[in-house]
Amino acid sequence: MTLSLRSLSAAFAALLLLAGVLLDASASASELVVIVSSRSAAPMLRSDQVAAIFLGQSAQLPDGAVIAAIDQPVGSNTRDEFYERVASKSPALLKAYWSKLLFTGRGQPPREVAGNAAVKKLVADTPGLIGYIERSALDASVRPVLVLR
Amino acid sequence: MALSSTPAMADDTLPSNWKLSGFGTLGMVHANTDHADFTSSVLKYSGAGASGRWSGDVDTRLGAQLDVALSTQWSAVLQVVSEQRYNNSYRPQVEWANLKYQVTPDIALRVGRVALPVFMAAEHRKVGYVYSAVRQPTEVSGGVPITSSDGADLAWRWRTWDVRHTTRFQYGRTDLSMDATSRLRARRIMALAHTIEAGSFSARASAIGADVTVNIANALFAGLAQFGPAGTALADRYSVDHKRISLVALGMEYDPGTWFVNIEGGRQRSQSVLGTNVGVALGAGYRWRAFTPYAGYSAVRAQGDTRSSGLPLAGLPPMLAGAGAALNAGLDQLLMTRPEQSTASVGLRWDALENIALKFQFERVTPHRNSRGMLINQQPDFLSGRPIDVTSMTLDFVF
Repeated sequence: MTLSLRSLSAAFAALLLLAGVLLDASASASELVVIVSSRSAAPMLRSDQVAAIFLGQSAQLPDGAVIAAIDQPVGSNTRDEFYERVASKSPALLKAYWSKLLFTGRGQPPREVAGNAAVKKLVADTPGLIGYIERSALDASVRPVLVLR
Repeated sequence: MALSSTPAMADDTLPSNWKLSGFGTLGMVHANTDHADFTSSVLKYSGAGASGRWSGDVDTRLGAQLDVALSTQWSAVLQVVSEQRYNNSYRPQVEWANLKYQVTPDIALRVGRVALPVFMAAEHRKVGYVYSAVRQPTEVSGGVPITSSDGADLAWRWRTWDVRHTTRFQYGRTDLSMDATSRLRARRIMALAHTIEAGSFSARASAIGADVTVNIANALFAGLAQFGPAGTALADRYSVDHKRISLVALGMEYDPGTWFVNIEGGRQRSQSVLGTNVGVALGAGYRWRAFTPYAGYSAVRAQGDTRSSGLPLAGLPPMLAGAGAALNAGLDQLLMTRPEQSTASVGLRWDALENIALKFQFERVTPHRNSRGMLINQQPDFLSGRPIDVTSMTLDFVF
């Protein structure tokens, strides 16, 4: 009886572990990192601070340094995931948001660069920029300031 | 967003620091009345109802905007909109034309034509794509037709903890030619607006004042002034001749993404036929996939007479009494335009494509207390208090 309980709980733990690994694997497949140049002194950021920069509501980091956002192209999964996570905005809501700012003369959407590699290169070369890429594309040329799981 | 996503076109047609974008609405509206027109602004020539039960003129418009980045600090914007005007033409008019100087990342100065920041949606009310309902409720603005000013505005962005603030001050003037003879002139327009944003919550408080002259019904007021002190008093009381109009409004919105709710109230004051009125609007919606069902309620109440006792006619010779009675009837017609109305609406927005939204909206509009509400072109048999059912279909796009 004791034995069977022990083996049951062991099996259960193994199952939990397996589920955890599977869940983790599915999560890390679309894990995103918000990046700055490795030469940038930018501090770690909260997701609302990142959202404010990408939505054109703030042009500064908390320490006062001027920052500009680099976006992934309209229609890319990375972009849709990013805005869903930091701002709870669907592609249509985001389009409406920028249309509102554009047609009231209050701002333009961030410059778009296609793909993780291109975003990473541009951000790595320019300390005043901030971008986002899939975590799998991360390397030492850039530094993550926020991880979006 | 427009040409930046199609670089080939940008390269071929415009310098890289120029950007052309546009917005528009194709709309059809049906109103089940023959006694007045339902429309979206008092500055329209016609609408759905008396002029024909179906109308494409209520919501249809096309706008184009050119943004030019001159340097990191200087930029210019020109926005032109074509829609049905007071004189029934669709001749494009300049909505925005200003030069912006970004003094610091958080302080901007604009000179030129700038929209007034009166209500939550005042600056983007013509861009149907950016909001859920077919159109912004007209009740809160109480029919104040001043939407932009030629002058300067200063915007200052600042923050306290996690709350973002934007404070704007604007000073200017405007001249609006409504038709060959009717003009609206506003001088010493002063507007102050404060917007706060904290997470999903945003709010705006605003106040605006202007010296307004509208040369509409001039013959009526000139006629009244010939009837001695009583007539002069009526003309002074109701004419819109260098009258100070003030407006205060407070709006709030909560929009966490999957749903939204908003509320806005405004009060307009003037010693003129435009009168004093209080308006309120509520709205809520739920976003499910590409669909947004929504509902709204709005109402405006005139504080003051919606009909006049007019000139005292007792004891006048018959000919004068006849002329006086005609003037009194004219004054009553004019006072009917003081808005008192309520509207309940339900609708559905469908984001059919990346930059196209289709909307279907049903609303019941009821003018009250002898007022024609926000309706126009009321016929002799128009009766206040009769509800009107309005059905609207629109296709909104941005490019």
